[in-house]
Amino acid sequence: MNVFDNLQMLGAAFASFASPMILFNVFWATLLGIIIGAMPGLTATMGVALMTTLTYTMAPNSAILVLICIYVGAIYGGSRSAILLNIPGTPASACSTLDGFPLARQGLAGRAMGISTTGSWLGTLFGTMCVALFTPVLGELSLSFGSYEFFWVAVFGIVIAGTLSGGDPLKGYIAGFLGLFVAAIGQETNHNFPRFSFGIKDLEGGIGLLPALVGAFGVAEVLQVMRGPAFKVVSSKVDSVIPRLGDIVRYWRTILRSGAIGTFIGIMPGLGEDTAAWTSYAAARRASKEREKYGKGSVEGLMAAETGESACVPGAIIPVLTLAVPGSAPAAVLLAAMLIHGLNPGPLLMVNTPEFLYQIVAMLIIADMTKLFFGLTLVKPLLWILLVPRERLMPVVFVLCTVGAFAITSRVFDIYVMLAFGFVGFVLRELKFPMAPLILGLVLGELLDKNLLRGLNLSAGDVTPFFTRPISAIIAAITLLSILWSIPAVSRRVISLFQRA
Amino acid sequence: MSDHPAPAGERAPSPRADLLTAAVLLAFSIGVIVLSAGMPTFTDKGASLFLAPGIVPGFYGSVLTLLALVLAARSIWRGALRGDRGAGTASGAGDRAGLLRLGIAVVLCLVFAVGLIGLVPFWLAVALFVTSFIVIFEWQPGLGASARVRPVGTAVLQGMIAGLLVTYVFQEVFFVRLP
Repeated sequence: MNVFDNLQMLGAAFASFASPMILFNVFWATLLGIIIGAMPGLTATMGVALMTTLTYTMAPNSAILVLICIYVGAIYGGSRSAILLNIPGTPASACSTLDGFPLARQGLAGRAMGISTTGSWLGTLFGTMCVALFTPVLGELSLSFGSYEFFWVAVFGIVIAGTLSGGDPLKGYIAGFLGLFVAAIGQETNHNFPRFSFGIKDLEGGIGLLPALVGAFGVAEVLQVMRGPAFKVVSSKVDSVIPRLGDIVRYWRTILRSGAIGTFIGIMPGLGEDTAAWTSYAAARRASKEREKYGKGSVEGLMAAETGESACVPGAIIPVLTLAVPGSAPAAVLLAAMLIHGLNPGPLLMVNTPEFLYQIVAMLIIADMTKLFFGLTLVKPLLWILLVPRERLMPVVFVLCTVGAFAITSRVFDIYVMLAFGFVGFVLRELKFPMAPLILGLVLGELLDKNLLRGLNLSAGDVTPFFTRPISAIIAAITLLSILWSIPAVSRRVISLFQRA
Repeated sequence: MSDHPAPAGERAPSPRADLLTAAVLLAFSIGVIVLSAGMPTFTDKGASLFLAPGIVPGFYGSVLTLLALVLAARSIWRGALRGDRGAGTASGAGDRAGLLRLGIAVVLCLVFAVGLIGLVPFWLAVALFVTSFIVIFEWQPGLGASARVRPVGTAVLQGMIAGLLVTYVFQEVFFVRLP
C-alpha cells in the first residue's frame, strides 16, 4: 500500500463521518467526556466503560467514535479541576496540579487553561500522527508473534502495569493476577468446562468484563468520593483562555519531546496517561532553562504534562490495534468495546481491514478538534459543573452504573457482578492495591489463557520455547528486569553502580 | 495507569493490615490451586494433557501464593508483629464521619440495586433513590420545618427529573433495555 492509498482511506474515513447525526454525537460525547474528566471522582475509564454499555445498540463505527470522544475529552477535562481545585479530575491530570494550580492562584487560571488546552490539543494531534505512521509498521511486526510471544506480551502488560502504576509494585502484581483469575471464571474454550462456577448457571458464562469494569471504576469511585472530604473551588475568576502563540513557539521543543514521550508510554502495554504526564514533566524539567519555576507556576511544566498525557491517548490505541493489548485502562475498555461490536483488532487488522486504522485516525482528529473548540468556548459552564455537590451527582452516577451493567445482556446477575466488583474494588483501593493491573488482567486473561495452553500443547509441555524464541526471550528478559527493578534494594544498588561509574 | 483519584492526605495501610491481606490472599490462592488440581483433564477422552482446564488457574493460584507469601514476609519485616508499630494510627473524627457516609452510601446503593429495582417501575426506583440520597446526605440537624422545604423540594425535583430523563434517554434514544 502506498501513501496515496493511505490518504485515500483517510479521506474516505472523514467523509463517512460527515453526517449531522454523527457530528451531533461527536459534540455531546466530547462535551460529556470533558465533564466526566473535570469532575473529581469520575475518571476516563469509568466514562468509557459506562458509554460502552450504553452505546452498544449503535452502529460499530458510531459507537467507537463516541467512546474515543469520551476518552479524549475526559483526559483533557481532568486539567480543569487540577487547575481550579488543585484536585486532578482524573489521575492523568495529577501532574497538572503542580503548575496549573499555582498559576490559578496568581490570577492566571485562564492562561493556565489556555496552555492546558493547547498542550492537550497538540499532544493528541502528535499522537494521532504516530498512530497513522507506526500502526502499520507495528502491525507487520506483530504478524511474526506466535503463542509464546503473546503469552509474554500479556505477562509483560501485567508486570509493567504493576511496576509503574504509581503505587506498590507487589500489590500491582497481585491485582493483575487477581484480574487474570477472574477472567478464568466460567467455561474455558477447549472443553467447555465451567471453572469456578460452583453450579451457578450465570457464572458458567463467565464474569462480564463491562459490569466488572463499571463496578471497579464506577461504584468504587462513588463510594470513595462519598467517604472522602468535600471539594471546594478555590478560584472562580478566570482571565482570557485564548492561548498565546508565543507559548507554543517558545516551547516547541518541550511540545515535541512530551508528544514523543507520551506516545511511547501509550504504546507500552499497561502504562497510561498519568505515567506519560509525569515522565514528560520530569524530562521537560531536566532539559529546562527555567527549572526554578517548576512547581511554582511554570508554563513549560504545565505544557509538558498536558502534551504528554494527551499524546498518550492515541499512543495507547496503537497496541490495541496491532496486538489487541491495551496501552492504558481506558484503552482496555475501548478494546472490549471493539470486540463487542465485532471489530477485530490485532495482528490481522492491517491485513483484513486496513481502512479501520484510518477511521480511528479520523475519529481521533475529530475528537481533538471538538475538544479544542469546547476548551476555548465553554469556560464558565465548566466552572459551574465543578460546583455541583457530590451529594447530588453521585446517586445519578450510581444509577448510570446500574443501567450500564444491565444494558449489554439484560441480566440482573450483571448488576450483582457490578456491586461485588464495586465493593471489592473499594476495599482493594483502601488497601492501596492499584486498579489498573486488575483491569488489565481481566482484559488480557483470555489472551494469556489461550496462548499459554496453545504454546504448551505445541511443544508437548516443554517450556523452553517460551524462553528461547528470539522475541519471546526479549520480552521475557524485559519482564524479569521490570520485576527486579521494582525491588528497592536491587534498583538502589544499580543506580549507585551507575553513579559511581 | 493508576486510574483512581487519590484523595489528599491518604495513608498507606498498616503492616498489620497487609499481613491480614496476605493471609486472606494465601487462603484464597491455595483454594484456587486445590480446585484447579481437582478439575478433569479429559485425557481419558483423548485430549492433550496440556489443554487441561486446571493448568491456567493453577498457574495463577501458584503465582498468587508466591506473591501472598512475599507480602506476608514484607509486612512482618515492616513490623506487623511488633506491638504498636504494626497496627497503624487510630481513626480520627474525620475518619469516623467518612465511615458513616460510606456506610449510608452502601446501604442506599444496595436498597436501590437489590431491593427497589424490579419491585417498582424503574423511573420511580431512580426517583426514590436519588431523592433519598440527596435528602439524607444534605440533612442538617436542628433546622426548622420551613427551612427544610427548599432543600427537600429540590431533592424531590432532581429525583423526578433523573428518573424520567434516564428512563427516556436510555429507553427511547439509546434503545437500551432497563432493569
